Amino acid sequence: MNQLRHALRVFAAETLKQHRRLFGQPLVVFSMLVWPVLQLATTYYTLRPVATASRAAENWPLAADPERLLAFLATGTLAYAFFFSLVQSAWHLSFERTTGTLELLFLSPAGRLTLMIANGAGALLQNAWLLTCFTVAALTGFGTLSVSAWWMYGIVLLALLIPAVAWGAFLNSLLVFSRDSAFLYTILDEPLWFVSGVRLPHFALPAAVQVVGAVFPLTGSLLAVRGALLEHRTVTELAPTLLGLGALSVLLLVAAAVILRVGEARARQTGALSLA
Amino acid sequence: MPIAWATAWRTWQMTRRAYPWTYAVGTVLPAALTIALAYLGFHAIGGGAVGDDFAAGSGTTAYLAYIVVGTTAFHFAVRMILWSAKALITEQRQGTLGALLIAPAGRLPYLLGFTAFAVLSSVLEFLTLGLVVGVLGITVPVSSVPGALLGGLALIGAVFALSVGLGGLMIAAGEAHISQNTAFIVLGLVGGFTFPRDYLPEPARWFAELLPTTSAMDVLHGSFTGGQTLPELLPRLAVCAVLTCAYLLLGLAYLPRAEARAVERTY
Repeated sequence: MNQLRHALRVFAAETLKQHRRLFGQPLVVFSMLVWPVLQLATTYYTLRPVATASRAAENWPLAADPERLLAFLATGTLAYAFFFSLVQSAWHLSFERTTGTLELLFLSPAGRLTLMIANGAGALLQNAWLLTCFTVAALTGFGTLSVSAWWMYGIVLLALLIPAVAWGAFLNSLLVFSRDSAFLYTILDEPLWFVSGVRLPHFALPAAVQVVGAVFPLTGSLLAVRGALLEHRTVTELAPTLLGLGALSVLLLVAAAVILRVGEARARQTGALSLA
Repeated sequence: MPIAWATAWRTWQMTRRAYPWTYAVGTVLPAALTIALAYLGFHAIGGGAVGDDFAAGSGTTAYLAYIVVGTTAFHFAVRMILWSAKALITEQRQGTLGALLIAPAGRLPYLLGFTAFAVLSSVLEFLTLGLVVGVLGITVPVSSVPGALLGGLALIGAVFALSVGLGGLMIAAGEAHISQNTAFIVLGLVGGFTFPRDYLPEPARWFAELLPTTSAMDVLHGSFTGGQTLPELLPRLAVCAVLTCAYLLLGLAYLPRAEARAVERTY
């Protein structure tokens, strides 16, 4: 009990630190709102020639309706923004390496995994208001939302938040022990949208890509978000996806814990913050 | 000239030793994925065809070739901005900006040296994109070889002109992340790289005309998939030259002020 209280206090403190560091800065507004909207427009226009082709509607009924196509791409952008903010926070954590504050964190009696989870969850508030903005915009602008019950919005939030935080904890643990974090950042950022079906429906992706995509929690989150918001799915229908997401999240957290333990043991032995 | 050469050589050595793969992967991967996305969409959704509005706006039905040219040019421009515009702020972050400013070296040759390195390394990196295009079986028609070469040069000049002012902004603000990414996303949206500008709302089209890269892209698209000959491309080349000169002059006039501001803030 005492341990849990301690973990919660560490969690709250690190989340507050991360929130103070990021929120209110122009970076948040740009990376969470301006860039995704402009990126969405670029993607929409780039795919428009394909979607207006004469046979597009048979292959993908969504394509025939520009508003539904835009809503489809917008859910992709929304989920990607969630996950990207976690990638970004992991990247920011690697700055603590260069500034020397990481040693302080590791010297403190705070739980390592708690720190990693909290660091990712610092983006929680930003993400929550982003989802609200998106929903309001979608309801008024597209008129294409089809939700089976009002509490499905809660399911959507959880289906985005929990896997994203687990993904963030995993990335944080990985990046803390790497020197060239910009490299990993590139590797984990660009392919993420491709394999997860952010900008294309899953049936358009080759089987091999779909298999790779299944490893990324964004893929499952997107299935859940699109199912709940656009396709009128109920919780029962989405249950396999949601259970899969839960299992994947647990797996990522375990992996994060293992990486932290191995990395720290190695740091004690060799004095180098690296995994290999 | 020795300054430009020395700068390019220093950057080459530094990159080769410290980050041999980071930049190459960061350049080629996004471009390859964008081309692959268009390829998959074209076949799985469009069924191998595109809508009439694309042909009307671009003058071609060769959607994939259009995307290959546009995506390659866009990521080439991004890579050049990342090197040339960020040269000064990198010096600032590493603490060598002060030394650079009091050195008896001109800023223009210094930036030209960076651009020369950026162009050469990026061309080498983008050759690997040819593999991706080959594997996907996309053929890119060329209607005017001199037009394509001049278009490429125009794009390099246009991006360099943009980078000078942008680099000044970056050191004056002491910030690169927001300015660079905003510049990339705005360029990608309005610059006519991966889709015809007719799709955009009127004000965005007018705004695009103010960017020197837009006319350079018209020349590039025109000389590849557009089926245009050199005389037909000349008016857009002239527009690009005028805009490039204007941006370059503005950038060079602004740079000393930005440098003064950067130094005053630091010390």
